Formats: sequence, C-alpha cells, structure tokens
Amino acid sequence: MYSGEKKTIIYVLVLYLSSTLLLIATLFTSYYFYKQEELADSEKNILKKYTLELKERLSILHEESAQRFEYPRFENFKSAIYDLDKNLIFSTMDIKIKNFEKEFFKKESKSYLISSLTPYYLGAAYIVIEKETKKVDILSGLIYLAIIVIIITIITSYFLVNLVLKPLRDNIKLLDNFIKDTTHELNTPITAILTNIETIDSSNCDEKSLRKLQRIKIASMSISNIYEDLVYLLLNHKTSIQNEDLNLCEILTQRVNYFANMANQKELNFILHVKESVYFFADKQKMERLIDNILSNAIKYTKKSTTITIILDDSLLSIEDEGKGMSKKEIESIYERYRRFDKTQGGFGIGYSIIKSIADEYAIKIDIESQLDKGTKVTLTW
Amino acid sequence: MVKSVSLFLILCTLLGSSEFEKNCLTCHGDDFRFNIIMKKYTLKYSTKERIKNAMFEYLKYPSYEKSILPSEYIKKFGIKEKSELEDKILKEMLDIYYDRFNLKSKLY
Repeated sequence: MYSGEKKTIIYVLVLYLSSTLLLIATLFTSYYFYKQEELADSEKNILKKYTLELKERLSILHEESAQRFEYPRFENFKSAIYDLDKNLIFSTMDIKIKNFEKEFFKKESKSYLISSLTPYYLGAAYIVIEKETKKVDILSGLIYLAIIVIIITIITSYFLVNLVLKPLRDNIKLLDNFIKDTTHELNTPITAILTNIETIDSSNCDEKSLRKLQRIKIASMSISNIYEDLVYLLLNHKTSIQNEDLNLCEILTQRVNYFANMANQKELNFILHVKESVYFFADKQKMERLIDNILSNAIKYTKKSTTITIILDDSLLSIEDEGKGMSKKEIESIYERYRRFDKTQGGFGIGYSIIKSIADEYAIKIDIESQLDKGTKVTLTW
Repeated sequence: MVKSVSLFLILCTLLGSSEFEKNCLTCHGDDFRFNIIMKKYTLKYSTKERIKNAMFEYLKYPSYEKSILPSEYIKKFGIKEKSELEDKILKEMLDIYYDRFNLKSKLY
C-alpha cells in the first residue's frame, strides 16, 4: 500500500465513519429518549389508574357514617391526600410533597403523580400516588446494539473504501510498473555506455576526441545519477534495508572520485578535511544517495574554477560550495519535491527531497547556510 | 402554678362545651346531623379555615347561594334565620364544632 493511498483510505474512513457514527448516535439518542418517554407514559397511565382507584375509595369513605375512617391502603402503591391549601390530610408515603407544580416526576427509583380532585372527598383537593418505578434498562441494551452496528459499519466501510479505491489503485500500479520498467530499461544502456567508455584506450585518442569522450562520460553519469534517484523514489519503503557500520571516510572519498570528471570539467578544486574511521550505522545505498545528491548539487550550482570544501568529523559532515547561493525563501521550500530554483541546470528537483527523507530516517539534522553569490554550505549532524 | 393554669383551661373547655350545647346542640340535636353538615362543607371547601369562614358567613348572613343544602331541602325548610350570637362567640362555637366533627381527625 502506498503512503498516499493509506492516507486516502484513512481520510475516507474517518469521514465516512464520523458521519455514519453521528447518524447512529443521533438515531440512538432519539430512540433512547423516545423509549424513556414511552416508559414514562406507561408509568403515568398506571399511576392514573391507581388515582382513580383511590378516588373511588375516598368517595365511598366520605359517605360512610362511621365515627372513624380507615384510610384506604393498597399493595401496589402508596398515597397521600392534601387539602386545597396544600396541607397534608393523610399519607402512607415516606416523603412529604412540597412542590405541586409538576404533575409527574421520579425520585429515587419511585414515580409520583399528583392529581387534583373535585369534589373534595374527606377534604382532599390533591391526591399523590407513589409507586416503585419499573426497572427497564434501555441504555445498556442500546449500547450493545450500537457497538454491534458500529463494528458492522467499520467492516463494511473498510470493504467499501477498498472497492472504491480499486480502480485508482490499479491505475497507480499500472503507472508504477510502467515507470519501473522504463527506468529499468534505462539502466542497461547507461551501464553499457559507461563501461565502454572506461574500456576505451585514451592513448589512442587525440585530444579533441578525448574531450568529447569525457563529456559523454559525464553526461552518462548524470543520467545514471537520475536513474539512481528515480529507483530510490520508486522503491521507497520497498527496498530491503541493510543497515551496517559504514566507514563514511571511505564512502565520501569514493563518491568524490566518482564525481571527479564532472568537477574537472568545471575546473573545481576539492578540499577534503576528512577524519578517518568515522563510522555510521546505516544502509550503504541510502548513504551514497545522500552524499551523491549533496555533492552533485554543489558541483552543479557552483561557479567555474571554485573550491568545494568537504569536512567530515565524528558527528558532522559539511559540503560547502562557492556557487550562486540561495535566498532564505528558497531554503524554506527546498525540501519540496520537484522544486527547482535554477531551470538552466538539469534535474527533476528531487535531490533535496531524497536528502531530507534519508536524513529523517537516520535522525540526521540538516543545516543549510547560504548567501547569494557567495555559496552554500550543507551541514549534516548526527 | 401549673395546676392552676391546667384547672383554668379545663374550666374554659367545660364552659365552652356547655356554651356549644346551649347555642348549637339545642336546635341541631344529634351528632348525625352535625356530621352530615361537616361532610357537606368539607366536600365543598376542603380546608379548616375555608370551612369555618364559609360557615361563619352563612350563619351571619344566610342566603340561598351560600347554603350547602340541596335545593329541595331549602324549598321545604327555607333559609335559616340569621344567628344572633356575637361574632366572637360564634367563632368560638365554630372552632369547637370543627374540632369535634372534622373528618381529618377521624382518619386513621
């Protein structure tokens, strides 16, 4: 999976899931409140029924001609009666009602219903019914259901995203393979050119032909470098990393020699302050890419007949040229891929993007100091 | 001191009771009728104060509108005469009447 594709999947999934979850949450919340209301309604109806029962008993009691009246008591509920001025007449409940504005309310797992009564049997203007609330756990059931729905949504959304991205993925794969094949096809002729130039006996050539040969060699090396960069970019995160203790002094000398022809053409002078036996644990190919890109940039952008200073210390590598330099703004955007400031020079503008990616991988700090018309100094510290 | 106060209170109650018997029970007779009147007033006025006020109003200024008797009874017996008792005494009598016959105290 490509990093871009991964990002797309994550973005689409986040968007899809968040909107779906929002919808589910809204639906479930509405359902939860609806259920609660339904439950409250059913409780209210039961309490109303009890109120009627009590009212009937009070009316009978009121008509009795006894010396004392036994207040009606019921198994299913408790009750209280209050007069018109809200003074308690009689109660079988544990609490005393103070607020008569709410008709129906719940308190400590009990439901209460306050109803007004006319005529005032036994003086009762208000009847209060108290009943244990029926325990129905709507929430936990809903949570389980929501979890199941969310899991199903996540699974389906993953398949959905994959399905939607399939044509795009196929196209990218096709394009990748095409570039890979093309790049691979480039490698054989470049190697052939370079190998054949090396085997030409320079003593048999006149000076003019030798110069031409040298130019061909430099041009081929440039193409070879571009090829290496492209391979690095295409196979990014796919190449097997073989980290080992690398002797940076050795690699640096090799790479300077590799670019010697290119440098000679511009009559450049290399000053090397290289400490021997500086070791760094990394992948050899990647370190070569890193050094090659800094070096080739220095050679490419430096002025003719100038000096390139290379310093290697235990935890520092700096390459300084005397080229045209860069402005602060240019330095800020230097790591953007395909960013090129000088279109007169060849290249794709991928050099610094590669430098940054490798440096980040090995926690190397890049420091670029540059002054216009004076030169650029790239320092790597680790 | 306590004894004398207690004796005074008992005396007052006894005097009040005898006043009640003289002023009220002589005409109304038995408990049964009084109970019915209390039930009627409770059914209509609910609270102690409202009941006593309504009774007082009716006894002082009897009228067809203020009466709690069913209309056929009023037609048969007519509106009662105005009470000639002083307001203070009438109120005391009403207090005794309410205390003796109210329905709230009969509930258990």
